[in-house]
Amino acid sequence: MGILPSMMPRLRHGWASSDRIDRWAWRAGTCFDAYGVRVGVRFNDPALLERLGPHLPPGWQPCASSEVDQIFSVWVSPRGARARTVGRVYAGGQRRALAKDLEQAFEVLESEIRQTVAAAAPGRTFVHAGVVGWHGRAILVPGRSRSGKTTLVAELVKSGAVYYSDEFAVLDRRGRVHPFAKSLSIREGGCARHEIVRRRRAEDFGGFCGVRPLPVALVVLASYRPGAEWQPVTLTRGQAMLEMLAHTVPARLRPEASLLALERAVARATVLQGERGEASAVAARLLEQVRQPAGTSRVGAGAKGMR
Amino acid sequence: MKPAARRNGLVVRDLPDELIVYDLDRHQAHCLNRTAASVFRGADGTRSLDDLGALLGDGFDRAERVAAVRMALGLLGEAQLLEADAPSGPASDLSRRSALRRAGLGVALLLPAVASIVVPTPAEAAVTCIKDCTGQLPGTGCNCPLSNTAPPCDNVCFPDETCGGAGFCP
Repeated sequence: MGILPSMMPRLRHGWASSDRIDRWAWRAGTCFDAYGVRVGVRFNDPALLERLGPHLPPGWQPCASSEVDQIFSVWVSPRGARARTVGRVYAGGQRRALAKDLEQAFEVLESEIRQTVAAAAPGRTFVHAGVVGWHGRAILVPGRSRSGKTTLVAELVKSGAVYYSDEFAVLDRRGRVHPFAKSLSIREGGCARHEIVRRRRAEDFGGFCGVRPLPVALVVLASYRPGAEWQPVTLTRGQAMLEMLAHTVPARLRPEASLLALERAVARATVLQGERGEASAVAARLLEQVRQPAGTSRVGAGAKGMR
Repeated sequence: MKPAARRNGLVVRDLPDELIVYDLDRHQAHCLNRTAASVFRGADGTRSLDDLGALLGDGFDRAERVAAVRMALGLLGEAQLLEADAPSGPASDLSRRSALRRAGLGVALLLPAVASIVVPTPAEAAVTCIKDCTGQLPGTGCNCPLSNTAPPCDNVCFPDETCGGAGFCP
């Protein structure tokens, strides 16, 4: 990582223009590269540029050029104005949110930038999944938001696994997983409406972040049900690819490359699917599964049928 | 009857015992087991049901093979993987359950299977649902359930800034 350059971004030639809002009075901007995608961000208040750093994707690099693939814009109401909406966030020319405070505006901006990078990264296939490393191989936990990915990843890290991501498995053309090690977003509170999201580093759980790409050893398709016993079934390679495709960000944009990356990722992996109870009860069993040589596991002896 | 499987608008990945088919027109993906894959590959508009049955391997009688081919064609038709004018017959001609009841384990190995999904858009696959609709655009996904098999966001923000739908709070 480096220091964010101060420069006003402009779209690369041939990319969709956001000219309606281009005419507004933007006063500060910056450009960076993440996973090969060039991103620009601009503000009407220069002071906001200093707050951007913590919201950038992991592994970002400053750009020397102001030409970018996508521009995000944050327009905030002047200080002292009695506006109900404090910030407006745009992706290109599309408004994404009317934020009631700056924290919410940056939260939306961060999420939008991550989605853009995940969809457009050349040579990479982003799968919505938690990832840890263990004995030189990766464990993937694909799933939707609030499916318990982060909880399970945090528990695996507490048990000694190396942290790679709680949001995206970044697959290369060989099916290896690269880190996307943003802070873990831990949800606290009993209800989605009343929860608080706390950001925690892997080091807070006694762990550390992985750096080098890993082959996939285990894919865990687990849905949380309080009190459930972990009795997974083993999926075939095709079933596994189908399940993972449902969480693959560029699947519609680049189906051939996505399928190839998934095929290679699961080629030597065990893929388990089932309901799990508390993460603490499952984590040790998953780590044990990876420690065993392939084909000797007694976990997931069942087989899943198809329609 | 000489059925023809679609060949255009598809991305196909061959696996050792399965076939993954991505339908570029409908953005659906299908996983075909060995029998369904054999029928899909063989259905080129020149082969009869008997011919297709012969592709399924030895050890089964003619009636069993033809029944399996009919069932596979039904499943492929449901998945819209046959040419529009190709006769397929309903998959329920020979349901899996009744086939298993009537025949032994050997024939069960012949049963075709097709699993399908609708492939998510980038936003659906990468979405992080919000918990507070205040200030959000109507239609923004919110309040996800605790399940990875459900749609990305169970509810959406309404114009009055409430999160609506079948709410889920444990």
